[in-house]
Amino acid sequence: MPSICLYFEVHQPMRLNHFTVFNIGANHDRSSDYFNRKLNQEIFEKVAQKCYLPTNKILLELINKYDGKFRVSFSLTGTFIDYCERYMPSVLDSYKALFATGAVDFIEETYFHSLSSLYDDLDEFEKQVHMHRQMIKRIFNYEPKMFRNTETIYDNRIAKKIAELGYKGIITEGAEKILGWRSPNFVYKPVNANIKVLLRNYKLSDDVGFRFSSRNWPEFPLTAEKYANWMSNSSGDVINLFMDYETFGEHQWIETGIFEFLKHLPREAFKHDNLDFATVTEAVERYAPVGEIDVPLAISWADEDRNVSTWLGNDMQMACFNELKNIGIKLKEKSNERLLKTWRRLQTSDHLYYCSTKGLADGAVHAYFSPYDNPYEGFMNYMNILQDLKQRVVL
Amino acid sequence: MIGWEYPPFMVGGLGTHCYGLTRSLTHMGVKVDFYMPQTKHGATSDNRNLVIKEVGETTVFPYDRPESNEIAGQFFDVVARYNTLVVAKVKGTYNVIHCHDWLTIQASITLKDLLGVPLVLTVHSTEYDRSGWLHPNQWFIDIERGGMEKADKIIAVSQFTKRTIIEKYGINPDKITVIYNAVYPISEGKKQKLVLFFGRLTIQKGADVFLRAAKKVSEFEPGVRFVVAGAGDLLPELIKQAVDLGISNRVIFTDRLTDDEMKHMYGIASVYVMPSVSEPFGITALEAISAGTPTIASKTAGVCETFHNCLKVDFWDSDEIASKIISLLRHESLSKTLTENGRQEIELFTWDNVAEKTLDVYNGLNTARLKKQLEERERIYELNTAYLKHKKK
Repeated sequence: MPSICLYFEVHQPMRLNHFTVFNIGANHDRSSDYFNRKLNQEIFEKVAQKCYLPTNKILLELINKYDGKFRVSFSLTGTFIDYCERYMPSVLDSYKALFATGAVDFIEETYFHSLSSLYDDLDEFEKQVHMHRQMIKRIFNYEPKMFRNTETIYDNRIAKKIAELGYKGIITEGAEKILGWRSPNFVYKPVNANIKVLLRNYKLSDDVGFRFSSRNWPEFPLTAEKYANWMSNSSGDVINLFMDYETFGEHQWIETGIFEFLKHLPREAFKHDNLDFATVTEAVERYAPVGEIDVPLAISWADEDRNVSTWLGNDMQMACFNELKNIGIKLKEKSNERLLKTWRRLQTSDHLYYCSTKGLADGAVHAYFSPYDNPYEGFMNYMNILQDLKQRVVL
Repeated sequence: MIGWEYPPFMVGGLGTHCYGLTRSLTHMGVKVDFYMPQTKHGATSDNRNLVIKEVGETTVFPYDRPESNEIAGQFFDVVARYNTLVVAKVKGTYNVIHCHDWLTIQASITLKDLLGVPLVLTVHSTEYDRSGWLHPNQWFIDIERGGMEKADKIIAVSQFTKRTIIEKYGINPDKITVIYNAVYPISEGKKQKLVLFFGRLTIQKGADVFLRAAKKVSEFEPGVRFVVAGAGDLLPELIKQAVDLGISNRVIFTDRLTDDEMKHMYGIASVYVMPSVSEPFGITALEAISAGTPTIASKTAGVCETFHNCLKVDFWDSDEIASKIISLLRHESLSKTLTENGRQEIELFTWDNVAEKTLDVYNGLNTARLKKQLEERERIYELNTAYLKHKKK
């Protein structure tokens, strides 16, 4: 009997101010100069009204209505929590209310939703995981058992590190290149570590995340009834539906009927005897691994390539990534907490994502999520800020 | 086709367009007689479908609105004489007359009536563009409007130009088709630390903003040189501006360059800047990109409507232009990514594509004509029926 494992990624990046070459070293002494407070607050409040608050309300009602049998999991990034605390504590309260039901699980990740798992050594990565752990502990008095890296970036090295850190399971993409003929609807384990792996069912997940409102899609319109039927007819132990939380009300607008879909999903699922809901921790506790996965080269859930080329796919992205790493090496020789914090905020993977030059099909997705007119603007702005930070580190 | 310039004699995008278009059209089997003013260079054709017909005698003259009245008078006389001579010289039967900009409009209007064939007008620029939208001259506007009204179809080189034609000249949008320009790729040379401007030195092209940006760049990047290529009325003023800015030792004014010299410049430049105040399309941006030169172009330029792999700026923002020039000079990763993606994208901009779309416009004309004839017949039929009915009563 497959368990439906619903998990949502909740993240907001810190978008940057316009920063020209002439701002580099221009003697300003506030790290907030890098970040566009006004824009960030505006976007956060808008998304909170369109997505976070209404969706949390629906989920709370559903959990109560079905007596805790409807269960979900979240990962909340550190930058997202920072926004909640600074601009809208009511959003945080709604997460606390969800967690209090006992039907909600939280997942660990790096505080800054960064690419630190791809650095030459994993010290900074471990540090950022620890920061996230402290944050969840402080707010929810909870220690997550499961880990999901930035945009489900995963390779053998990361899996091994996460096993060492004591987590029960790790989440990544159910990519064909690692599964071959095998189904993502089972629990697996890495070849090189003792930890369980949950794999995203990207077909069923993207049916909701990407295709829900697409009129060109033969299955349009997608009803909860139809979707529950598909899941009931699926074989395996666990159906991992992992998506951006902003799917609800932001990527898919309220007019598409996405909220109605969500409201009806538990009822339609419970019509099938063979379906139930589980949190990510429950999924790995309940099911044993059926096989091993071997991932020497990093995969992720991004784009059709499902690797890290979304962030490190061109020379501009590599240049920024290397600059960021090198600044870190210099920075750690000193003990300047304020600059260290700024450096970490600049590690948020979105900054590199905005520099992606991937064409057409994928490029359209990037354009939708980017505050820049094109990737070149994204590069120049980000690189100028990195140059400024570098000067301040050396001084 | 009635043109104004053609290689080797050329001062603007109009000549480049006519060259590319006629070559591709004739390769597709369309027969073109290309009328143009006679020059001392002498244009020739290597395709038997294309016959170049040089008309009259004129020396080199400005393309733009001349500043001084004396030259202006001569220039207008020259244009008027050319148009009269074209009308006198045209013989034979044609399916379509295709003309370009105000320079050729008067002859085309007369010929349309004389030969009774449809007229297509391509608008490469309007008086509003050439005057930088500051003091457009009503005399040109009237000629342009006359041609636009008389033309059966208008080809605009960008949506921007289409909007101008609709909003400023009050023309029916239905008869305007946008066809973007194209480029014959230019080979890349050995890159130098050199930032290039190329265009007529008139208010339209924004060379003054280029110099202001150059000043700012010089303060931060000592080893860079700047080239202002092209001729025009503002040359003395621009030289003075460079002196006043204290960068006269960094800026080279080349005046008019030959085609080969220009290709060389595109090839060796590290950055190309096109800060036009008003740019209906901007073929030079495509030329630079094809030569592997990262390009900064005015946001409002027609080329920016359709081309993605270049940097876009407000034409007045010399600081932003300077910042982008410096970014390009400092970060090879940026130049390289722009160049590689730009080269790929530019493969979509071929003259064969332009010719195909132009041919569609010609073919649409014939359908439109047939439709008109049918409608006319129907109208007569109805009149007749009505008359007969009336008679029966």
